[in-house]
Amino acid sequence: MRLTDFLSRLIPVDLFKGLAVTGGYLLKRKETVQYPEKRLEPTDRFRGMFGYDSERCIDCALCAKACPIEIIYLADKVEINPETKKKKKVITRYDIDVKRCMFCGLCEEACPTEPPSIWLTSKTYEGAVYERNDGLYFDKQRLFTWQGVQPFPGVRSPAEGQDPKDPMGRRPTSEPATNDASGEPTS
Amino acid sequence: MTDQRLPSLFDVEEMELSFGPQHPATHGVLRVQLKLDGEKIVDAKPIIGYLHRGTEKLFETMPFPQCIPHTDRMDYVAAATNNQGFCVAMEKLLGITIPPRAAYIRMMLAELQRLASHLVWLATHAIDIGAITPFFYTFRERDAILDLFEEYCGARLTLNTMKIGGVPFELPAGWTERCSALVDGFPAHIDEYEELLTNNRIWKKRTIGIGVVSPEDAIDWGLTGPPLRGSGVRWDIRKVFPYDRYDEIDFEIPIGKNGDTYDRYLVRMVEMRQSVRILRQCLDRLPAGPVIAKIPKVLRARDGMVYGSVEAPKGELGYFIVTTDKATEPYRCRVRPPSFVNLQLLPDMVRGHLVADLVAVIGTLDIVLGEIDR
Amino acid sequence: MTDPLIRYVVVPLAQTVVILLVLLGIVAYLTLAERKVLAWMQVRIGPNRVGPRGLLQPIADVFKLFAKEDLVPAKAERFVFLLAPILIFVPSFLVWAVIPFGETFTVAGVPVTSFIADINIAILFVLGVSSIAIYGIILGGWASNNKFSLMGGLRSAAQLVSYEVPLGFAVVSVLLMSGTLSLVGIVEAQRDAGIWFFIPGILGFGIYFICGVAETNRNPFDLPEAESELVGGFHTEYSGMKFAFFFLAEYMNMLVVSSLAVILFFGGWLPPFPNLLAGLWQSPLLSWIPPFIWYLIKVMIFIFVYIWFRGTFPRYRFDQLMAVGWKWLLPLSLANVLLVGIGVLVLKG
Repeated sequence: MRLTDFLSRLIPVDLFKGLAVTGGYLLKRKETVQYPEKRLEPTDRFRGMFGYDSERCIDCALCAKACPIEIIYLADKVEINPETKKKKKVITRYDIDVKRCMFCGLCEEACPTEPPSIWLTSKTYEGAVYERNDGLYFDKQRLFTWQGVQPFPGVRSPAEGQDPKDPMGRRPTSEPATNDASGEPTS
Repeated sequence: MTDQRLPSLFDVEEMELSFGPQHPATHGVLRVQLKLDGEKIVDAKPIIGYLHRGTEKLFETMPFPQCIPHTDRMDYVAAATNNQGFCVAMEKLLGITIPPRAAYIRMMLAELQRLASHLVWLATHAIDIGAITPFFYTFRERDAILDLFEEYCGARLTLNTMKIGGVPFELPAGWTERCSALVDGFPAHIDEYEELLTNNRIWKKRTIGIGVVSPEDAIDWGLTGPPLRGSGVRWDIRKVFPYDRYDEIDFEIPIGKNGDTYDRYLVRMVEMRQSVRILRQCLDRLPAGPVIAKIPKVLRARDGMVYGSVEAPKGELGYFIVTTDKATEPYRCRVRPPSFVNLQLLPDMVRGHLVADLVAVIGTLDIVLGEIDR
Repeated sequence: MTDPLIRYVVVPLAQTVVILLVLLGIVAYLTLAERKVLAWMQVRIGPNRVGPRGLLQPIADVFKLFAKEDLVPAKAERFVFLLAPILIFVPSFLVWAVIPFGETFTVAGVPVTSFIADINIAILFVLGVSSIAIYGIILGGWASNNKFSLMGGLRSAAQLVSYEVPLGFAVVSVLLMSGTLSLVGIVEAQRDAGIWFFIPGILGFGIYFICGVAETNRNPFDLPEAESELVGGFHTEYSGMKFAFFFLAEYMNMLVVSSLAVILFFGGWLPPFPNLLAGLWQSPLLSWIPPFIWYLIKVMIFIFVYIWFRGTFPRYRFDQLMAVGWKWLLPLSLANVLLVGIGVLVLKG
């Protein structure tokens, strides 16, 4: 073979170039995020832990019908107010089996109230438990108080007044929310 | 009188080896039953089914909008194109035209997903052949892409990001700027991966001449995607049967020459560059308008059947949907997974090669078991 | 003048103990260094949870390996199974008996050499003793009663044996330049010549280092122990402390190859240009640096290059590996011997 071919086979310039790439990374900034001291903040539309507001909920069961895995369980009873003799539907049971939830958000889309009574945009992703079956079955009370769930710093549970329009759960401000699904361009 | 031959030194005994479902290099639960002659592979038989979840049966039990989260989980590495395939097929069935802005957003999501999927392919292929660092560099870029997805639809991996008729959300504020920044910086990263691998003599020795597929074989076996294009056949669903306004976008499809692993590697690297080009054009030309067509809340189908396919990163992903009149659920939804069809060629590709090449070939076919087994 | 008991018993014993302990410590921390440096090249930080900045990680690893269950496969040959790790581990320690680290210094009036023994066939001793490890690999693979371990062991042994030939010839080119087989003599020859031997012997150094990487089963020549190669090669069936022995032996071999590279080609404990810049090295600014530090710095640079290789290159397939060894390195090393021989003849008359 010719001399240049022989030299290029002998002196591995391609290998040195590869070494230069990895060697250069010794001096660059590293990408590691030291969890759990630092947590990355999810974006505003992040589909995280559920928030549920039983005050707003009108018990239409559209969320249960929309769920692809049928993990929302609703039960209600009719209560008669003794003074006014008016009948009222009261939700006795609103359970979500979170261990099978795939956080697809179809329940939030199906909810007709404004803002929705069930919402996922709560920036919280740390709900891990040691015991699966009891730990990940959220009834009405637990969906409200978020017992056992570690909220992202700054996010409040529905019991503390999380506003579904603001994923961080702050008090509603005068600015419009970015979670605009009406089809009007916001960017 | 029985003639008992004692085994002599020259007797060749084929060894059966199960390259088992639990193996660091099989990209999921794939089992390959190998017949080895020493180190050479005499025959290989892929055995699948370890990840079967009954997705197609599940489709029959739920209304059309609820099927979409389930399509995410088939090819879990590239979820947006799965969604797109289902939506394209259903829109073809029902004759829905999506608004232009929705089409452009869908194209952007699909190309971002193609980039993310090819980054995973590069990472795992390189690690199988022994280069352990491209994995970390590619996942850094993939993280940036997944951040964009998270900003758009709320999830990073199982996206649920398209609806029949368009896309569910408007783009959030600043998304196009961030996407633009990512797209501008991406070619430099691809250059970095190429610097590490493309001209590397060890890489070339491991991939040139391995797993050669002739174009005739590729067409006969039904290969699609980079394995087909690596063998020299010019076929890309985005060009041949354009959907979602791909005919308005200017891009090229890379074709390989020899049909070996190195060519498929080069094809995918060039595909990444072309995806960047498509993204740039979509971002520049993004039209205004609604993001979803007017479809009824409860979607009822007509009597009929349709086959709609998209160019997923792994190949042609097709959905064959059969519906009855006024039904809210599909009667039958059959998925044509590209990895399933591509995997059929594995025995032919590895016959005569060594065991170390089997891993390279599995990597170059870019299979995802979630898609194969559904 | 000093008491012969001190000179011939106490001092060597003390040297042996110190060298053994220091080496064990260095090898343990080498595992941490590899993980951290590899991580830095991969845009992440390595272990940093155990102890400050991860510095207690090797100790945690040692505890873990002690506590692991010691499995012996059912039909394995027990005695040989136990013997194999020992056969791999002991030669890599034995080699350090002849490797010099620096100049002779005095402690309380007693001259202490920086080596345990200076035999006049040191190179031969090193090459011979390190070949015993190959027995350990073959026996380890065979005794596991596992056909893949056997295959892996045989392959590993074949690789080691074939790369020893060009390695030997590269070393021969150094011997031509130095004229002596003693390691101390080679370093002193470099001091007399005024340059490190890698400048005239650059081809020999390249061949030596590549063969050294192959000898220690490191990337890009680590197919026998890669995962895609049927899990673990010859050490698949080993667990606990026996596995630790294989592991430590690999790092110890890395250190041996690096030390030899430094001594043969890079001047051992000599500073750069020892005669030309003698004024600089003996100036009050720099004269406090003991020769041992130079040696250490150079060895650490080689270890870094080992880790750098691991982070960058894909691995060769086994037949390609053998082809590189026999078809490229062997003819090149012979040509190198020829060239160096001609050079020495011309320059030294």
